[in-house]
Amino acid sequence: MTEPIAPPLPVLAPAEPATPAITVEGVTKLYRRTMPGDRLRTLKSALVGRSLTRGLRPEEAIAALEGVDFTVGRGEAFGLIGGNGSGKSTLLKLVAGMLKPTTGRIIVGGRVAALIELGAGFHPEISGRENVFINGAVLGLSRRQIESRYADIVEFSGLGDFMEEPVKNYSSGMYVRLGFAVAIHTDPDVLLVDEVLAVGDEAFAHRCLRRIEEFLASGRTLLLVSHSLDLVEGVCDRVLWLEDGHQRLVGEPRRVIDAYRQEVAEKEGEEHKAARQQRQERQAAGGTVSEELRWGSREAEITAIRLLVGNEERYHVESGEPVVFEIRARAAQPLDDFVFGVAVATPRGNDVWGTNTDLEGYVSGTFEGEATVRLTCPALRLGPGDYVVDVAVHSKDGAPYDYQRRALAFTVTARTGGVGTYLPEHDWSFAGGVRWAGRKGLEP
Amino acid sequence: MFRVAAQLFRYRGLLATLTSRELKARYRGSVLGFLWSLANPLLLLAVYTFVFSVVFKARSQGADPYALFLVSGLFPWIWTSASTLEGAMSLVANSGLIRKAVFPAELLPLVAVLSNLVHFLFALPIVITALVAGRLLGFPVGGVSILVLPLIILIHLPLVAGLALGFSALTVHFKDVRDLLANLLTLMFFLTPILFPLASIRHLAPVWWAVRLNPFTPYILAYQETLFWGRIPEPMLWVQMGAVSLVAWSFGAGLFERLRETLVEAA
Repeated sequence: MTEPIAPPLPVLAPAEPATPAITVEGVTKLYRRTMPGDRLRTLKSALVGRSLTRGLRPEEAIAALEGVDFTVGRGEAFGLIGGNGSGKSTLLKLVAGMLKPTTGRIIVGGRVAALIELGAGFHPEISGRENVFINGAVLGLSRRQIESRYADIVEFSGLGDFMEEPVKNYSSGMYVRLGFAVAIHTDPDVLLVDEVLAVGDEAFAHRCLRRIEEFLASGRTLLLVSHSLDLVEGVCDRVLWLEDGHQRLVGEPRRVIDAYRQEVAEKEGEEHKAARQQRQERQAAGGTVSEELRWGSREAEITAIRLLVGNEERYHVESGEPVVFEIRARAAQPLDDFVFGVAVATPRGNDVWGTNTDLEGYVSGTFEGEATVRLTCPALRLGPGDYVVDVAVHSKDGAPYDYQRRALAFTVTARTGGVGTYLPEHDWSFAGGVRWAGRKGLEP
Repeated sequence: MFRVAAQLFRYRGLLATLTSRELKARYRGSVLGFLWSLANPLLLLAVYTFVFSVVFKARSQGADPYALFLVSGLFPWIWTSASTLEGAMSLVANSGLIRKAVFPAELLPLVAVLSNLVHFLFALPIVITALVAGRLLGFPVGGVSILVLPLIILIHLPLVAGLALGFSALTVHFKDVRDLLANLLTLMFFLTPILFPLASIRHLAPVWWAVRLNPFTPYILAYQETLFWGRIPEPMLWVQMGAVSLVAWSFGAGLFERLRETLVEAA
């Protein structure tokens, strides 16, 4: 199929810079907590004219958003990131006008189209074709306007053969294709997109992104919610990070996303630490660990392992930071044949790096009583992701005294891009006929 | 209530599309299709004639033929009660649309009202044909008074719309409404002079008053006057209808308006 040539969007007259497309001022949104036995009271307040959401006692309300403040300029792509339940979708629904803020106000200049959820706004029982007309009408288009754009919508969606099918027979990808095609062809001034693009296939996602670029270039505004941080970074001019309904950080995408990633990694690091602690406590208390996670004769025993970054025990590491794997071990009887080993792997079991004292030429003498073994990496250059560590003490011919599988886990973050488990120090240089228009996302 | 009216006007094209879709969907997969809109009232007419003329031998109190008297009040009532019930459920039934998409929620109860209005209008030719037949058989039924029928329907419409809007918003918050409403409408049906001429219960003072004070009574009387008796309704009936419609619309649309912001969360 040939790529449809999108009709050029009419370029909006450059608005006064002072009037933003979206203004969100001190917005708080409280949801009513469902409490048993207050239905009657609700009925009473509904009938006698009191508001159902204002004047709630604190224990009756859940704050989905609190004190959110930002503006989005015309032609700007604005991203919303944050964990599940951080208030992103609520914020999108507020901007769409589906919800009213409990306090504060929201001003949106122009017509809004929203892709909030997969297949939302479609009637499952009726055909794709009829749905296009209904959807278009909801978005404010007259029948004639939709008719004139119908061919473009079908072509963009690539669903030509399916338009007469009831949409309940559509796949989730087809829902998104049709939904996005209708929304973008209604020429909204503000487009709100929640995650849905992740559902389409690669080719369609690219087509959407190209269309969004044109859309933005014509002076229109995008508000994008996504868990795909790379997508947000690639598309958005500014990003807002929401956490538990609060505004954590707003600004240049790279900076906000890095801060967000950093915090997520720290949280994961905390979880890794807690998991390691739990396991060691269980082992110390004489509890058993599954055979699959620990085995060996116990002539020598590993009593603790931890990760030190700098001098601090933590389990999230920025790529390139100095790292120490610290093993505490004990041999009840003197041993004269022993090897200490450490292996790093991905959680799915691919080896990344491993070494032991034998491979590096240490010839065993004696090991008796308590000992601390440190393996120091002045710069641990791993790619971003999660890693697990096996530690062992065993004889030279490989018979394990104590082998601990996945004794600890840690998370690596990286400020520079790249994929894979290895992240060497690197730099680009260019000579000859190559010129770059600029470089994105690297703030001082 | 003005905002509801403005929204309905703004989305009138969509309202028409959704209503025609609703009508099409109702008969999708059936052999007779749209013919059911004609067949249903015809069958209903036949059933009621059989039950009340043959089985119960109802005393018609001068309202002859009884079947014709019955349907002149029954079809408007069916429009009213079906719209109210369907309308009450419309938001809950389409919660996906309201929760997840920007959708003018007031259209949904109105779709229920309008699609049932279409069914009512489809039944009218049957009623009119039956009236003409009755006249040819020598009964003094029907007349040019039928020309004011559109006006009655026009005044009746805000009542039905107000009920559908108000109950739709209430049902979102209180699912109890659905069960209450069905029984309430049944009670109202028997307290409206549809099965019996108003004059026939004059000797039962308490019932007579209950029927007289029933807000649906003036509408049914007006339909019966216009269709069956062939008279233009007296001015008092018009005043009563106007007042009830105004109150029902204001209260229903007003309630919808006030609960609107909570619908997305609760539907």
